[in-house]
Amino acid sequence: MEIDRGDGRKPNQLRPVACSRGILNRAHGSASWSQGETKVLAAVYGPKAGTKKNENPEKACFEVIWKPKTGQIGKPEKECEMILKRTLQSICLLNVHPNTTTSIIIQVVNDDGGLLPCAINAACAALVDAGIPLKHLAAAICCSLAKNGRVLLDPNKSEEQNMKGFVYLAFPNSIQSVLPEGSLQVGGEPVEHGIITSVTHGAMSVDDYLLCLQRGRAACEKLSVFIRSSLK
Amino acid sequence: MEQRLANTWRMTVNEKKFIETALHSDLRIDGRRPFDYRELTVKFGREDGSSEVQLGLTHVMGFVSSQLVQPYRDRPNEGTLSVYTELSPMADPSFEAGRPTESAVELGRVIDRGLRESRAVDTESLCVVSGKFVWSIRIDLHILDNGGNLVDAANIAALAALLTFRRPECSLGGEDGQEVIVHPPEVIDPTHFEEGVMGGRLTATLNANGDVCAIQKAGGDGVMQSVIMQCLRIASVKAADITAKIRKAVDSYNTERALSKIRRQPASVAVQVTEPNQIEVKDFLSKHKEKLMLKSEEGGASHSDDMEIEAQSSEQDKSRRRDSTSKSFVGGPLSWDPYSKGVDFEELQASIASRVKVAPVEKLEKSRSDEPYKGESPKLLADSSTSLLSDEKAATGLQIEKEKTLKDAVKPKHKRKKKASTNTDAS
Repeated sequence: MEIDRGDGRKPNQLRPVACSRGILNRAHGSASWSQGETKVLAAVYGPKAGTKKNENPEKACFEVIWKPKTGQIGKPEKECEMILKRTLQSICLLNVHPNTTTSIIIQVVNDDGGLLPCAINAACAALVDAGIPLKHLAAAICCSLAKNGRVLLDPNKSEEQNMKGFVYLAFPNSIQSVLPEGSLQVGGEPVEHGIITSVTHGAMSVDDYLLCLQRGRAACEKLSVFIRSSLK
Repeated sequence: MEQRLANTWRMTVNEKKFIETALHSDLRIDGRRPFDYRELTVKFGREDGSSEVQLGLTHVMGFVSSQLVQPYRDRPNEGTLSVYTELSPMADPSFEAGRPTESAVELGRVIDRGLRESRAVDTESLCVVSGKFVWSIRIDLHILDNGGNLVDAANIAALAALLTFRRPECSLGGEDGQEVIVHPPEVIDPTHFEEGVMGGRLTATLNANGDVCAIQKAGGDGVMQSVIMQCLRIASVKAADITAKIRKAVDSYNTERALSKIRRQPASVAVQVTEPNQIEVKDFLSKHKEKLMLKSEEGGASHSDDMEIEAQSSEQDKSRRRDSTSKSFVGGPLSWDPYSKGVDFEELQASIASRVKVAPVEKLEKSRSDEPYKGESPKLLADSSTSLLSDEKAATGLQIEKEKTLKDAVKPKHKRKKKASTNTDAS
């Protein structure tokens, strides 16, 4: 049974992705990432001296500022900031620059569904552009569960609103390494199967969630190939 | 907090001295002459009311959105315009998120004053139901990259966004302001290096006619009167220049947008055809892009003081409105001309305040108007009590049945034509 998506995509087909780096002059690193109509601009300044209060001075600190397109900054923006901060903290090498603050500023240019994954991808690209040391990149995707149980990848805004639930997932980039096979495994599974971030909206059963995870992982592998080629 | 200050960018003494000495011999660090502007590019986003302006290295984005609110009690007929400028930390490491610095506030106020004083947005046309609902336009300016001269870039972004913004009912016309930032020795459009050196700054906002809408000079070195006059003269020249650039960009964007929205026209569109207008159609088709100095009957009939205020754009707008009203009479030959749709969209940029009597309930609906508003218009028309509108009500009653059968694109033409004919009858 084929679902008819609004823009004619197949259930496992992502929207066209575009990424460009180095677009701003003052920022140390900048990138713009667009998936379909959703477009996000990210800028990185850092590392700067000193950490905030209550932050561990032995490690680098991250500060995320999320700017919505219009309107005041409210709770949803703060939530996105926090999620992004935790995601980026887990992919960056924190011990290289202790007692510093790196600021990441996200500007939403257009929101057509899948905003948080788009922002995660843009932030990673901007970090690469700024030269901040990272363990690996994060590739993020949105998987949604339709009312009849099918999993659709990368929904746009109208699709998102009609879904039973959707989940934003971020996986590590697939790793091309010089080390021998097997040393990158954690507990029997390859590293790239670990989930960095998962944010769900709406209710879904456990099986559906696991199905989404599977699909998301596969999609992120494709996405990480794209990231690698575009960030060279 | 201290860490932030420690990270602000400071100019070295060498840099300062170098820039100052160079300026004394009329040399600028990027090779421009003292009164040269940097290259200006205006780009538009996918939706209405979003613009992206690049002035050299300075990058500003503007978004316009609207909301229905209750008006102020002492101005029940006017909508509101508010400008929010955000100096994003993206633009400069010294900008902080959260509380805006005084330069951010000043920037916002200067732009706000420029738009307000020059009546770039006709607030009366933002009224939906007098005393109950008016449109509140909100302009968000995001400064992405600070390469100097934020005021100009932000102003242009605000204007470009306003010019391409379409409310569900009507679109906005724009006056064009131009701001000049100078510092002794006078230099226009400073980069952020030059801004670090400058002693004072004068911002003058002018409209396309050369009228001064606002001047801001906040502290800094004193300047002689002759210098101020010279700056104003330069500013008026640049104003015309930049206005032309903005208009060109907006025009090309509008035609592009219109071309992507051509719909099929049904064979017979006209309900009423008046002879004299038909003849002029061919002329307009060929000249619709130029400014036509016409005096239309509508303008004469319902002239109001608002017209004086917008004298600058009104002539062009009236002529454009005339364009489309006469165009709409002829369905057949126009249906294949792509430019006809283009001018229709542009025509709606005219402010409708000239028809004061009809203003509160006039609905110049565009083919892109939202569904709920189509439903609203017959209701609102029913609310009004003027004789003019009762005619319209009957007419629109007819049209509403037609709407269900004809495509959306046809509807705005019908409405405009009806109003034109009823107005000419009234006058």
